[in-house]
Amino acid sequence: MHIPDRRSLRPLAGALLLALFVPVIAACGGTSTTQNPTAATGPTTAAPTVAATTPLTTTGAITTTEAITTTEAITTTEAITTTEAVTTTAAPLVNTQATYTEGALLSVAAKACGDGYTGNLKAITAVDPTTVKFSFCTPDPAFRAKAAFASFAILPSEYLSATGGAGDLIEKPIGTGPYQIVSWARGDSITLKRFDGYWGEKAKAETVVIRWSAEAAQRLLELQSGTVDGIDNPAPDAFTTIEADKTLQLKPRPGLNVFYLGMNNTFAPFDNEKVRQALAIGIDRERIVKNFYPAGSEVATHFTPCAIPNGCTGEVWPKYDLAAAKKLLAEAGFASGITTTLEYRDVVRGYLPEPGRVAEDIQAQLKELGIIATINVVDSATYLNKAAAGELKGLYLLGWGADFPDMTNFLDYHFGGGASQQFGTKFDDLTKALQQGASQPTDEKRAPSYVEANNLIAKHVPMVPIAHGASGVAYKADVTGAHSSPLSSEFFAVLDPGGRKTFTWLQNGEPAGLYCADETDGESLRVCEQINESLLAYEVGGTAVKPSLAESCDPNADLTEWTCKLRAGVKFHDGSTFDANDVVTSWAVQWDAANPLHKGRAGQFTYFSSLWGGFLNAPPAK
Amino acid sequence: MTTSTAEPMRLTTSVPSSEGPWRRAGHQFLRQRSALIGLVVIGLLAFTALFAPLLAPNDPIGVLLGKEAGIVKRSGPCVHLFGCPADQPQHIMGVDGNFRDLFSRIIYGARLSLLTGFVTVSISLVLGVLLGAVAGYLGGWLDNLIMRLLDVLLAFPFLLLAIAIVSILGPGLLNAMLGIAIVSVPAYARVIRASVLTVREEDYVLAARAIGVPPVSILFGHIMPNAVSPLIVQATLGIGTAILDVAALSFLGLGAQPPTPEWGSMLSAERNQVFTAPHLVFLPGLAIMLTVLGFNLIGDGLRDALDPRLKR
Repeated sequence: MHIPDRRSLRPLAGALLLALFVPVIAACGGTSTTQNPTAATGPTTAAPTVAATTPLTTTGAITTTEAITTTEAITTTEAITTTEAVTTTAAPLVNTQATYTEGALLSVAAKACGDGYTGNLKAITAVDPTTVKFSFCTPDPAFRAKAAFASFAILPSEYLSATGGAGDLIEKPIGTGPYQIVSWARGDSITLKRFDGYWGEKAKAETVVIRWSAEAAQRLLELQSGTVDGIDNPAPDAFTTIEADKTLQLKPRPGLNVFYLGMNNTFAPFDNEKVRQALAIGIDRERIVKNFYPAGSEVATHFTPCAIPNGCTGEVWPKYDLAAAKKLLAEAGFASGITTTLEYRDVVRGYLPEPGRVAEDIQAQLKELGIIATINVVDSATYLNKAAAGELKGLYLLGWGADFPDMTNFLDYHFGGGASQQFGTKFDDLTKALQQGASQPTDEKRAPSYVEANNLIAKHVPMVPIAHGASGVAYKADVTGAHSSPLSSEFFAVLDPGGRKTFTWLQNGEPAGLYCADETDGESLRVCEQINESLLAYEVGGTAVKPSLAESCDPNADLTEWTCKLRAGVKFHDGSTFDANDVVTSWAVQWDAANPLHKGRAGQFTYFSSLWGGFLNAPPAK
Repeated sequence: MTTSTAEPMRLTTSVPSSEGPWRRAGHQFLRQRSALIGLVVIGLLAFTALFAPLLAPNDPIGVLLGKEAGIVKRSGPCVHLFGCPADQPQHIMGVDGNFRDLFSRIIYGARLSLLTGFVTVSISLVLGVLLGAVAGYLGGWLDNLIMRLLDVLLAFPFLLLAIAIVSILGPGLLNAMLGIAIVSVPAYARVIRASVLTVREEDYVLAARAIGVPPVSILFGHIMPNAVSPLIVQATLGIGTAILDVAALSFLGLGAQPPTPEWGSMLSAERNQVFTAPHLVFLPGLAIMLTVLGFNLIGDGLRDALDPRLKR
């Protein structure tokens, strides 16, 4: 009689085992080697896997970036040999649009306006060691306001070439500002110390420590318990708590910003203008502002807030009309509804005080429209990169805080010829109107162009503007010089933390990088503004432009040439002297995409291309 | 009076020796107060989950803004019976940050939590029992292979591995359950393998083998029924753990996606209101705590009841 033994089960069991374990093992291996975009969707960057998938915020990945850029830096410096020739050596290889002049005084010029070059900047010339001349193809009346912005800060040309345009430049920037960087402990804090060789009024506090927490409750708790001296964006519900607390002071920040529901017109169904128009009137924007924004916030009647000259010209955004929106959707062929995603980053900004609540409210509102949206939370740095690259396929929540009070900062950055791929294909009529507006000398003469631009935005609906959100900054009561900046660029040098040596600031998030030519996030820009300075600056707590590294910048009669007289005797943090060549180099590495130092963190240099119209030798659009 | 004397009579007649092992375990279980409490808590929870549509006053994902007069965002609990002004709409547990009734959300959350607990444990039970029983019964290289692979799984921090798996699969409640299930497999496999190893050498198993019972029948007909009691305990405790872990994943945004009323994600969504609207954080937290406690109490009771060495 045959006695069955255990062996007969084995093949079956083996097969079962294999089937079970293959996916598991693949899953385990996958985390360490592949970058999975979905992994970044967790709201906390503390979760290890989440952090691992956002290379630029993890220490591991940074090492790699450093490694790469160091080798490149070596080749660059070898090739250049002398410091003043920073921008010259590699130029002839690829430069079809730029002409560099070397020697004691540098200059860079576009070979021609037009002819494949979309920008407006024609040449930057160091006339003498303390004079720089900017020439434009068409008049640029907003030059002063733009040139004061943190992205166009002046760095030592030697340091730019030594770092190869990336690497240490992102971690340890060198500037002329009242504070210099001591250390940046990734994931923890940034420490700055007073720069004693500062040309202007020295900083009050000896040390500034910048920390971050995405949790509004934690920020407030730390301020109340006294571990920090100032916090950004307390939760709207906490405003009354702060005002009632005698040990704290609240500085409200006006809503010089815009929060919008974005979409990319290269992806269906948002390639259909009727769908976009349906969204424009199908979202009850008033309900969002009334219920999720602090007092002082406004429903957006235009993309640009009214405080900006010409911001609110043209027709007011159409009223909420659910029935009409549904009809438009039906006309577009989506009567049965749309399934899409609704993406956002779980970070608080002045324009979006409660991201999660607003996202869920919009989700509920979309459902009424017949649009089923799955909410997807994306890590902040990944989100911005994806937005700029035009990779967000569904609806998304994003906003914009003013960097300088000019239409170009809002409209040109988003919809102009040099704007990113964020909203997809650009609208020719809109870019034309913007180009025209930007080149008129006065606000009055610019008005007709901006009326047209605003009306075209309402017609094409590249996005739905929702709110101009008020926000606030809170300090301990004993901090003197406390202020909030409508540009979100609070200036720490004027703050005196009650005689203490250290001023500790708790903001929403960690900067992605500190080479702000290649950053767009306010959390990065604010830190840069303490360290680096531009030719001009905005007044503390205001928007007016005042002299900084340049004592003056004056135009010629037709506004096509701006001549800046540089301040003498200004030293960088490393002891080198500031001169005209530093200005030319700092601008040229951003301007010329073929420049070997045109690298940065992500290499997007979004501000430059959108504010000055485009790059030299711009890579062909994808 | 006759009935009252009849009661103790019946009790005395049911002496332990005349009971089957399962009945005896049942009696042992019911004799423990903590286990009873657990049973009541879970019983209530199951009732709530089953009759959620009848119990919940509102749609758990319905935004009440504009539909109910006088509704205030994040307002605290308001019960008219206990002195809440009549012009305020009644919400037993208050209103959340999106103008939804928290009570309804917590009730529907019970459904989800029970579901996640049972589904997660079922998946890992099926996988774990198959692997563990096969490994224990067959032994040899297959046993070694299976157990070493499971050791590899065990070597990862529990939640970390679950996060990794969910990150690969993409966030969502189903994937979160799958992730937790996969990570819990080794625990079940080990328990069942240990039992199978002891039962395998019993005389009745040898006898069954001798008369030619096919191996599958031996394993599942003769060995498993006698090896299953530690598994029951493990699984009951496992439900509590699974609920907690799925809530943790949801808190991190990897589990249930909004507007699903899942306790972990509800907690996460309002975490910044812990000082301004504490009920939005504490009530979902309390629900999670009670549920997990209930399952743990039952699990502990079962362990004591099923352990033949702990006869009282």
